[in-house]
Amino acid sequence: MLQLINLTKTYPTPQGPLHVLDGIDLHLAPGESLALMGESGSGKSTLLHLAAGLDTPDRGDVLLEGQSIAALSEPRRAELRRQRLGLVFQQFHLVPSLSVADNLTLQARLAGREDVDWAQHLLARLGLAGLNDRYPEQLSGGQQQRLAIGRALAARPRLLLADEPTGNLDEAAADQVLDLLRELIEESGCALLLVTHSVRVAGPLDRCLHLQRGRLAEAGP
Amino acid sequence: MMPGIGNTGLLRTTWLTLFSHYRRHPGQLAMLLLGLWVASALWSGVQAINASARDSYARAEALFSASLDSVTRRDNQPLSLEDYLALRRAGMPVSPLVEGELSLSGETTLRVIGIDPLTLPGESSLARQQSDASALRDWILPPYRARIAPEQAKAARDDPRLPPLEADPNLPPGTLVTDIGVAQRLLNVETLSRLVVAPGRALDLPPYLVRQLAAALASPGQLTDSFHLNLTAMGLLALIVGLFIVHAALGLALEQRLGMLRTLRALGVPGRTLVIALALELLAFGLLGAVLGIVSGVGLARLLLPDVAASLDALYDTDVASNLALPWYYWLGGLAVTLGGLFSAGLGMLWRASRLDILALGKAQAWRARLHRQLRLQVAVGAVLLGIAAWLGWRLGHQPAPQELALGFAMVAALLLGASLWLPSLLAGGLGLLSRRLHSRPHLQWALADLQLQLPRLQLPMMALLLALSANLGVGSMVGGFRLTFLDWLDQRLLADLYVRPSEVQHADVVAWLEGQDEVQVLLEARHAEAPLLNVEGQDTGRSLALFGITPAPVMRQSWPLLESATDREAAWQALAAGDAVFINEQLARRDGLAPGDTLRLRGPQGVVTPTIAAIYPDYGNPRGEAVLPASRLADQFAAPPGSLGVVLSPLPSRDVTRIQAALGERFGLSGDAVVDQRAVKHTATEVFERTFAITQALNALTLAVAGLALLTTLLAQAGARRAQLAPLWALGVSRRQLVGLQFGQLVSAAAGTALLAVPLGIGLAWALVSVINVAAFGWRLPLHVFPGQVAMTIVLAVVVAGLAALLPAWRLWRVPPRQLLQEFAAA
Amino acid sequence: MKRSTLLLLLALVIVAGLAKVYWPTDASTQAGYAGLGEQASGFAQAGPGQTLHFPEDHGPHPDYRIEWWYLTANLESADGRPFGVQWTLFRQALAPKAGNREASGASPWQDRQLWMAHAAVSTPQGHRFAEKFARGMALPAGQGQAGVTAAPFAAWIDDWTLIAEEAESGLDRLTVHAQADDFAYRLALTAQGPLVRHGEGGFSQKSADGQGSMYYSQPFYRVEGTLRLDGEPLSVTGRAWLDREWSSQLLGRAQHGWDWFSLHLGNGAKLMAFRLRGGGEDDTEDYLSGSWITPQGEVSALAKGGLRLTPVETRDVAGRELPTTWRVEVPDRRLDVTVSAIHPDQWMGTSFPYWEGMVTVRGSHTGKGYLEMTGY
Repeated sequence: MLQLINLTKTYPTPQGPLHVLDGIDLHLAPGESLALMGESGSGKSTLLHLAAGLDTPDRGDVLLEGQSIAALSEPRRAELRRQRLGLVFQQFHLVPSLSVADNLTLQARLAGREDVDWAQHLLARLGLAGLNDRYPEQLSGGQQQRLAIGRALAARPRLLLADEPTGNLDEAAADQVLDLLRELIEESGCALLLVTHSVRVAGPLDRCLHLQRGRLAEAGP
Repeated sequence: MMPGIGNTGLLRTTWLTLFSHYRRHPGQLAMLLLGLWVASALWSGVQAINASARDSYARAEALFSASLDSVTRRDNQPLSLEDYLALRRAGMPVSPLVEGELSLSGETTLRVIGIDPLTLPGESSLARQQSDASALRDWILPPYRARIAPEQAKAARDDPRLPPLEADPNLPPGTLVTDIGVAQRLLNVETLSRLVVAPGRALDLPPYLVRQLAAALASPGQLTDSFHLNLTAMGLLALIVGLFIVHAALGLALEQRLGMLRTLRALGVPGRTLVIALALELLAFGLLGAVLGIVSGVGLARLLLPDVAASLDALYDTDVASNLALPWYYWLGGLAVTLGGLFSAGLGMLWRASRLDILALGKAQAWRARLHRQLRLQVAVGAVLLGIAAWLGWRLGHQPAPQELALGFAMVAALLLGASLWLPSLLAGGLGLLSRRLHSRPHLQWALADLQLQLPRLQLPMMALLLALSANLGVGSMVGGFRLTFLDWLDQRLLADLYVRPSEVQHADVVAWLEGQDEVQVLLEARHAEAPLLNVEGQDTGRSLALFGITPAPVMRQSWPLLESATDREAAWQALAAGDAVFINEQLARRDGLAPGDTLRLRGPQGVVTPTIAAIYPDYGNPRGEAVLPASRLADQFAAPPGSLGVVLSPLPSRDVTRIQAALGERFGLSGDAVVDQRAVKHTATEVFERTFAITQALNALTLAVAGLALLTTLLAQAGARRAQLAPLWALGVSRRQLVGLQFGQLVSAAAGTALLAVPLGIGLAWALVSVINVAAFGWRLPLHVFPGQVAMTIVLAVVVAGLAALLPAWRLWRVPPRQLLQEFAAA
Repeated sequence: MKRSTLLLLLALVIVAGLAKVYWPTDASTQAGYAGLGEQASGFAQAGPGQTLHFPEDHGPHPDYRIEWWYLTANLESADGRPFGVQWTLFRQALAPKAGNREASGASPWQDRQLWMAHAAVSTPQGHRFAEKFARGMALPAGQGQAGVTAAPFAAWIDDWTLIAEEAESGLDRLTVHAQADDFAYRLALTAQGPLVRHGEGGFSQKSADGQGSMYYSQPFYRVEGTLRLDGEPLSVTGRAWLDREWSSQLLGRAQHGWDWFSLHLGNGAKLMAFRLRGGGEDDTEDYLSGSWITPQGEVSALAKGGLRLTPVETRDVAGRELPTTWRVEVPDRRLDVTVSAIHPDQWMGTSFPYWEGMVTVRGSHTGKGYLEMTGY
């Protein structure tokens, strides 16, 4: 599904180059869920951005279903993103001027494959039924995060990339969101790469890796 | 998947998502459209006036008589049939023309032109006119025919005096062409106005006739170019002010949608698609704004055109249709300018969207750094522009005539733009200085610091306000100064209490009678003549000069204004009265680069006359060059017939203008145009003057209103964000009343700061108008007047405009329930 | 004829000429021609039995629709080179005498007469011409831009003049003058024979149905004077022929052009002959007529059969095929001659164009003269 090969990313800083990622190799099987843990600034988000094609590596490659992302042009990478990936951000990044329903189907519509039944199903499962015509600022934090997950899944992605999806939520809400996320992942058969600093969040996933000083280490649950 | 369908859906969804922003913030959309609308409306309005006038000029220039040389009597009297026949029998290919005005019922006045189609030179455009069969017979035999400009066709059809009419779109507005015999009957004359001859045909004219080359008769288009350039400049100012609003609206919409743009990119919208969607959005707004603007521009033009037509008629003696005639390219041009303006304002937005950094998603904006960078750039560009303006000003100030009108406008544009680019930095600097002094007044200090934060948003409407204010002050100073000078000049020139115009036969009797009246202090005799102007080599320039004969009586010597004289005033009058000198008007001096001490070369009936120029006098409102000499000399040297008599009454208590007027009517049958009260002349002159500047002032007021709107819309558009910034203050214990007051104070002080800059800028503009633009446009220079009242008015206006614009947002803040502020606080 | 068909010419020339000045020369002017082609009701009619009175008839006949004073001259320079001169003044009444119409005389401009003039000089190699227009004016005789007075005789338009030196000499001693951009002439004409009445005492029939014109000539002028070509003066001498003709009845539509000869023969006799193309008795044949004038001025009318005009050779002139060489036969007078243009380039490119130029006569008789051809 997703393969990272010798992925390297360096940022220049006043104190000399900072090796954020230093030869990362990683393989994610279809339907597999993987938690990527690490402290703040350990490079988790950079890795996720590279995997999503939002950024390009200095060295190494990202293969998505065997296809090299680094070799693609910007429009092709954008197409790959909207057709095969789902992204969930810590800050939700909902479109404030779109209603709940429109936000949910935004990526699906961009990808040209809106599925009304699936969207309705998602809304119901996410506990957002009946809130169709509200706007994001009229939702609670948990509701907004669930909507962001819904938006990512509505386009039926092959791979969901989530960056601290519960970082803005209290524990109870976070648990609820995570349970839902796992259930929906299983339902849709999509793979998940989740970045978090919380063991509690990483725990229930198939696999868990630690990112330290730009390198990966296997970690038990 | 099918890429085609996917892409269309992609673009459509992207576009709809982008547009959803305006659905949630209709105020921004309204502001954007408003800016486009006013920019396009004022610009299109001015262009509609210009296009319509140009159409009139084109038709006037296409008229046969415009391309033919003219033959007239030297003394400007009409010609007789015998004069004409004598020339024809001597083999000269002249054709007779009768011209005159005919009043129809109602307001319509027609310029009637009578022609003889059998002798009219053939290459003229009249030959191109289509007609039906037995046209010639119909033309010269009863019931005759007439061609008329389409504008007046309807009004004229009801007039029983006129022959059957045919509307002719090639004729200038207000023109009727018919056979010469019919024209004489309509105008009740038996004489001929002039003769025409094809250019290049040799004539051997008797001395009492003068030939005027067609090429030397300035076309109305040339004469009025400056007037229209003035209008265009006003329109351009309005366009720029409108585009400031557009720019502000687009900038705001982009700021607020940056997050959305990044999200869309993250969700897989390629950058190119995003830029295309934004461009399409601009295009849609542009089309809508342009259509709205052009439609209201045409309405505006319709409103202003009668005044413009009247001014042009009074200033340049040209007929302009007072209803609109717009060519197709006018519509296209309006659209192009609006879209061009919109895209120039939106280019920055598109550029930023295309260079969007997705990874900055959610990152805080480096506002301050960017603001400083922007301000530095603005200061640099502004400095260059101001430098250019200063250089042009120096050049134009030191350059001898003729001055370039376009360069004058370039200077004004550079001055205005440069100053407005400096405005934000000056305001920021001023605010910084102030806030340091206000350490002990935390409220005020916060208000000033906060105002600095608002500068990026406020700078554009403030720049618009600066432009409008300084234009207002500059034009106001110019008009006011002109009014002062002009009224003074009228008083000096219109010395006599009564102007009497007796016929040639009566002239001596009227003079004798008037001289016998006790009340009459002095009689000022005037005569008029025309003389061909020769160049230094003594060859005909093809131009003829108007000669004005005056009576250099002491009362006239004292008051007749002179701009420049060879030695001193008294000596100049001595030379005029006793010697062979003449005075020339400012227009002639500037146009031909003449100065006191130079000589003129004129062809008189008895040979070449070369008078010395003793002085230059101001002659406001006259499009032509003119020379003044004693009436007696004009009669001797140029065979000028007796003209009008100025009657100066003695300052006795028994003086009675109406008695003299009545007596002239009784004894000599002189009334109406033949006896004119000085007050009536002054009234007419003042009326012409007021009308000339009515349009300028109307456009000015509109521009100021637009600047106010710009401010209002900006404030409204950011009202939500402002509340979020004000909420913490409220939470810290500042009352709503204080908040409203602070906000009000912020705006008013920003506006007042702007006004302070507008004052020197406006005075600079006034200087440019009176000593560069007017000289180039009209041929006369005015002294620069600064009216303290107007300066004060400018500052008051700025404060009032800002206050009015701040009123609505302040009122809304006032009405906000505390609960909402609480929410804003939580959200912030 | 010349001249009957010239009625048609005049009508067309005036309308077309004005068209050039004021209206486009397109098909629409044909309507003007059609208008003039109507029955000339309200105008006086020329007919058999009418007699000529001099000097009155030298002056204009305003109640007839159309009239002209038509002078052609065959000249020679001192070195024997041939030159030709034409001076023509046409008058046309646009409407019959004002009856029910608005009274004229209110303005001198309101007059129903139109005047047009052609002047030309043919040189041994070339041809120069000019035209003028004027309207009649309700002014005392002798004034106005154009006009004619009978005694003393004067015909003029602007500065182009054909005038008698003294009142009692009629047309016997005239001076003709014209001036254009590239030529000018002033010639003294002295008649050496009497006036000649064509047709039936001056009535010249123009077609089988009886319509015609009043027509007389002075073919016996001796000429002396000066031509100016591009400002260069040139003394010339020669012979001239003046035609006077007026009528109201225009020709039928079938007549589309004519060929007209005025020949000075070596033995002192003169021949006037014309052919109207398409106006014969059965409307397909040509209508021929002419006058044989003895050196003493006795005239005999030539009818069909007594006159034969045959085109011999055509030349391309101004884009048209024109017969510039003719065979002319008058069997009764044993005349059988070839008449040929001195050169083909004598085209009058006036508003209504035609060919008018000097010719030489060879064969049984010699001589020279003028040929006019229209409608080609």
